[in-house]
Amino acid sequence: MFEEASEVFDNMFKSSFPLTFIVFIPAVLILVSPLPAEAAHEFTVYRMQQYDLQGQPYGTRNAILNTEARTVEAEVLSRRCVIMRLVDFSYERYQKALRQSAGAVVIILPKNMSTMPQDIVQFMELEPEMLATETIVPVYFALEDDELLSIYTQTLTSSSSQGSSSAAEVLIHTATANGFQMVTSGAQSKAVSDWAITSLEGRLAGTGGEDLPTIVLVAHYDSFGVAPWLSYGADSNGSGVSMLLELARLFSRLYTYKRTHAGYNLLFFVSGGGKFNYQGTKRWLEDNLDHTDSSLLQDNVAFVLCLDTLGNGDSLHLHVSKPPKEGTAQYALLKELETVASNQYPEVKFSMVHKKINLADDTLAWEHERFGIRRLPAFTLSHLNSHREVQRSSIMDVRPHVDLRKLSRNTKLIAESLARVIYNLTEKGAPGDLQIFTEQMMQEEQLSSVVDWLTAQPRAAQLVDKDSSVVSTLEYHLGRYLKDVRRHYVKADKRDPEFVFYDQLKQTMNAYRVKPAIFDLLLAFCIAAYLGVIYLSIQKVVERLYAKSP
Amino acid sequence: MSSFIHRLVGGFASVGLPGNMTLFHFGNCFALAYFPYFITYKCSGLSEYNAFWRCVQAGATYLFVQLCKMLFLATFFPTWEGGAGVYDFVGEFMKATVDLADLLGLHLVMSRNAGKGEYKIMVAAMGWATAELVMSRCIPLWVGARGIEFDWKYIQMSFDSNISLVHYIAMAAVVWMFTRYDLPKSFRLPVTVLLGLCVYKAFLMELFVHVFLLGSWTALLVKAVLTGSISLCSLFLFVTLVHSN
Repeated sequence: MFEEASEVFDNMFKSSFPLTFIVFIPAVLILVSPLPAEAAHEFTVYRMQQYDLQGQPYGTRNAILNTEARTVEAEVLSRRCVIMRLVDFSYERYQKALRQSAGAVVIILPKNMSTMPQDIVQFMELEPEMLATETIVPVYFALEDDELLSIYTQTLTSSSSQGSSSAAEVLIHTATANGFQMVTSGAQSKAVSDWAITSLEGRLAGTGGEDLPTIVLVAHYDSFGVAPWLSYGADSNGSGVSMLLELARLFSRLYTYKRTHAGYNLLFFVSGGGKFNYQGTKRWLEDNLDHTDSSLLQDNVAFVLCLDTLGNGDSLHLHVSKPPKEGTAQYALLKELETVASNQYPEVKFSMVHKKINLADDTLAWEHERFGIRRLPAFTLSHLNSHREVQRSSIMDVRPHVDLRKLSRNTKLIAESLARVIYNLTEKGAPGDLQIFTEQMMQEEQLSSVVDWLTAQPRAAQLVDKDSSVVSTLEYHLGRYLKDVRRHYVKADKRDPEFVFYDQLKQTMNAYRVKPAIFDLLLAFCIAAYLGVIYLSIQKVVERLYAKSP
Repeated sequence: MSSFIHRLVGGFASVGLPGNMTLFHFGNCFALAYFPYFITYKCSGLSEYNAFWRCVQAGATYLFVQLCKMLFLATFFPTWEGGAGVYDFVGEFMKATVDLADLLGLHLVMSRNAGKGEYKIMVAAMGWATAELVMSRCIPLWVGARGIEFDWKYIQMSFDSNISLVHYIAMAAVVWMFTRYDLPKSFRLPVTVLLGLCVYKAFLMELFVHVFLLGSWTALLVKAVLTGSISLCSLFLFVTLVHSN
């Protein structure tokens, strides 16, 4: 047959040259064509944090993965992708996977995260530990859906049955079961150069002469969690930003009327990079105090009030680095807060927490410490007792974590206290339960919609660049109430960067169904047997046919 | 001994599937699809008759007939606006009727070849089936079986090509018998019935799959049984006809 075939091809070549092209060029093109990507399941995965802060690396260092999937129960984990569900997640298992030099870890988060509070609390506590250990393997988070769950259960059955059954069972198992190859589509992660962290400032000028005292209200808008794309930061610090916007609205209303226009300048600052050691605030202070001749911050600063995590809880803590001295505006605010809390909101437990600034720590505790370092009187108001609380930096901090009534109550409390300081009401003899802001002035719907909008997208500092909608919407909002709304950018220093962010934080992962190598051998064996049977049967048939014919 | 085998098999099983093994899978599927054709060619004695070029001509006729069928379908059967999921029985039936062109094509090929009945049938069927293999199965196999993702459908496709070979041999035999002038009266009816079955086999298969919601392997089995029965009947009729002359 091959001689005839070669004859035919010879004729083709000799007779018509173009014909051969028409036949062979498509054949060549098809042969070198790239393989299509057809996966059993394609899903989005979110990578664990990767950043350097003050030269210290944190989080996972790698992004690409192309390995077979296993669960923790399997014997051999090295160079495999370990899949875990949140319900089965524990630090020991995570460490076990890392110790056996797994290729990657994928953690599957349930769709409705609020249904299992125990797991959530446990996971929240593990987040900082996971980030503290620098891991070389990529760690990804995926949201669960039915296909992913089925992939997980199939991998679980095949992983847990390894090494425990007879040879025949293993044979059958390799023929019928599916292995999964997990492949990410992106490239290796690299440092993002020239990332600008944006902060916004706006002011309400006081009336009555030059050199008025200034009150600064600060809240950082970015969020933090073990995975940047999953950090929605509802309470920390979506509550702080929404409260800041509400205070801006209230005081801008008061300042429009001459009778209520007070003698204090109000400076509002929405800072970025707050979770990364308050980079926005730090550079803003440097620019205002060192590099300009005149700035509100250089003159008469009454105090700086930082709002951090105020969306829940029945306690309010005023964190200070130095207890305020009597006679200062700081002390006045402290007293007013106590008065208003005890008179108007008795369910709120108000207290002052004194913590000295520890410059030997890797990161500063609260935002007011940045101001304290520059000798500005500052404090932070929060319902959390300690800056180390895990709620401040968790991906589980989503919208249900914010209790709108409590946020609204805290906003009222702070607004009343600020008003009493600005208008000097206690000295003028106003009683403790005098309410400045009536019910109609406080707009709970606005507060609610701001919180909803803030928690609708992840606001990690690596994801909010200067063109981001978060920044422009905040700028617009501030512009409605304040004057001189300006942006302020922070870029890391080239030679000694304070912070370095990395990309490839969100990937598309494909799960391909694969069969082990022995399956192909088995199949080849079976096909060879089948072909042998065919050959023999055809020969028999032909023999009988020709035997019958005369 | 069993523990040794166990460890060996376990070792193989735990090795992942590297890229070149997928070429192995393509080789498996290709062998499964193509070797029966090769075996049939060799064993039917066609090689002695220098039939290769004639088979290629039969393949070219297949291409031409498919082209005509496609043009006809595109012109006269625009896409139906029927409800989604409703199986358009009448439409599919009409489309299957167009497959009568296959019979005409086979007849054309066989009439151009001089020789004994078996020779004509085998040449026509081999060329026809090989052309179908190359056109409709080689490319999906090459593109799909080489990928990372494993799917049983490629093995099923290769089995299907084997079934097609048998089907076309039976179809060619029935067409040849139909056009014989010396066909006995009693054979007319069964031959016509078999002819109809051959043409509408694809339609029947789709009907079964749709009505009984068969899985892919079950459908393949049903197809094999159907083709097997058609070919056995036609073989029986053919042998009886040849021996009665």
